[in-house]
Amino acid sequence: MTSARGRRERLLWGAGSVLVVCYALVPVAWLLSLSLKRGADLGDHRFLPAVVSLEHYRAVFQDPQFAAALWNSVGIAGLSTLAALLPGLLAAYAIVRLEFPGRRLLLAATLAIAMFPPVSIVGPLFDLWRSLGLYDTWPGLILPYMTFTLPLAIWTLSAFLRDIPWELEKAARVDGATPMQALLRIILPLAAPGVFSAAILVFLFAWNDFLFAISLTSTDNARTVPAAIAFFTGSSRFEQPTGSIAAASVVVTLPVVLVVLLFQRRIVAGLTAGAVKG
Amino acid sequence: MAAIELREVSRQFGATRAVDCVNLSIDDGEFFILVGPSGCGKSTLLNMIVGLETLSSGEILVDGERVDELDPRDRDMAMVFQSYAIYPHMSVRENLAFPLRLARLPAADIDERVLRAARMLELEALLERRPAALSGGQRQRVAMGRALVREPRVFLLDEPLSNLDARLRVQMRAQIARLQRRLGTTTVYVTHDQTEAMTLGQRIAVMRRGKLVQTGTPQQLYARPADLFVAGFIGSPAMNFLPSRLAGERLELPVGSLALPERLRGAAAGAAGPLVAGFRPEDLRLAASGETTGLCFDARADIVEWLGADLFVYFDVALDGFGPLELPADLDIQTGDATRRSLVARIDPDAGVKAGDRFRLCLDPQRLHLFAGGRAIGDPAGLQR
Repeated sequence: MTSARGRRERLLWGAGSVLVVCYALVPVAWLLSLSLKRGADLGDHRFLPAVVSLEHYRAVFQDPQFAAALWNSVGIAGLSTLAALLPGLLAAYAIVRLEFPGRRLLLAATLAIAMFPPVSIVGPLFDLWRSLGLYDTWPGLILPYMTFTLPLAIWTLSAFLRDIPWELEKAARVDGATPMQALLRIILPLAAPGVFSAAILVFLFAWNDFLFAISLTSTDNARTVPAAIAFFTGSSRFEQPTGSIAAASVVVTLPVVLVVLLFQRRIVAGLTAGAVKG
Repeated sequence: MAAIELREVSRQFGATRAVDCVNLSIDDGEFFILVGPSGCGKSTLLNMIVGLETLSSGEILVDGERVDELDPRDRDMAMVFQSYAIYPHMSVRENLAFPLRLARLPAADIDERVLRAARMLELEALLERRPAALSGGQRQRVAMGRALVREPRVFLLDEPLSNLDARLRVQMRAQIARLQRRLGTTTVYVTHDQTEAMTLGQRIAVMRRGKLVQTGTPQQLYARPADLFVAGFIGSPAMNFLPSRLAGERLELPVGSLALPERLRGAAAGAAGPLVAGFRPEDLRLAASGETTGLCFDARADIVEWLGADLFVYFDVALDGFGPLELPADLDIQTGDATRRSLVARIDPDAGVKAGDRFRLCLDPQRLHLFAGGRAIGDPAGLQR
């Protein structure tokens, strides 16, 4: 009886897992398949490409616009991550460690900012950036990305910092460390999983953003991949750029997947094991 | 080497005074214990000495120089935390070397000092291990090692043994005492365990509700407690307390009356508030047949605890005609109610008293402690011990 029940349970679990995985992965597989089809086969109603061809990838990489956009994306997302994490870490540290008036208010306000709909500030920002000369520049995108991801970074980091025993820092201070040394040599290594997860979240936000990218850029100067993809044209005016878009999408998805897979171990690893008793 | 002096040190947290006007001087090389129930302010006081907590008022001097404004790193003190606070991302060797690295010692010096400390604490075989792979006792030794590797002026230990099991605690207690004697470094040790305090300390300060209640050697605290709290806190099992009242030159207790010794007479007559009589379990002894010296009374053994060398007999005493006894609540002595109290006597195990037996006990008046309004009264010098 137990084995029959066990088998049925396993079956249900298996079926459920397959369902979820399909739901998540079929669109991705479809995208991949589209990017590998020949231009003429795009409308052939087949799931797998009849002939695997790399012509869209070739076309995408030959396009100077895309190369520029890729560079913009990497640079802007990377710098936004740094720009959000540094103040985020210090702010989270202060919120967790220091008793100061308005601490709760600050956390609440941070959350409120995260809930602010970006679309409502994009218009004014457009005007502001144009008169400040930030329109279509890297800082013009990094600033809003940093602003909108900072709350996320602060919340994630403060959750991780809160779990680090405070006595470790006290011990470091008694051992002769300055507050900065204690933060850099004791707290930061222990908070590494938190820093990595916050970094991934911020990076993804900047990497995937379409709204700011499309509104605040106009040339290859600062246009990121999601915005650039929207400006793709087919090789002739009668051809939809579906294949190129699919290929470009695969190219921008890949690094994200890689980053997450790479850092996952660090996130999962429990670094604080053995700090205090038990 | 350092002598520590605390002058009217206070710490206020909101409306509560965690530490209230503490005056204390700790001699160079002394093993000094701060003991008290949890929440009495002893850890706060320790944190103020090491610089992790600021003073609301008062000053702290080491060798005559003020240190209370200094950063912890400039005070040259090392601390062992209750939770050990070992850095989990470093090996034992790196943990021990950390304070030395911060002090920018040459690498060869660091290696040598780490090895010396590791040898002293039998950690040599564990140097490359991570804290996660260590047992509780080993972690405790790493924490000790990190403190002594710096050869600081002062050691501060905050309940370092409270996370160990009983057997290990006794072992480590002896090891800490041996280490301290060998190094001769001034040591302040915080504990809530009176046994630890009595066995380790050269001098003990008892704290309660942020205040220093009494300071002295273990013998002084045991023999001449200044008030009800110290009397009940120091010693195990705790001192017996009974309500009492004065009748001429005699003191009446629920178990009978006795002639007040000379040293208590004057003070008892002038005392304000109800009198409380206290006597330790070993101050009661089985009466020889027909004995009448002192105060002798009959009792019925309620519970008998045989510990090999000792026999503790618990018995009830009715408080007929006496008011209920009020003891400090934080003593956690709950023996009896408004009408009865449970007392304990330490007697010769060979006497063969069993639970339920009737037996006769005598109390030597010279051993009696008398308290009025919570304070010990009378001339303490006359107490026989």
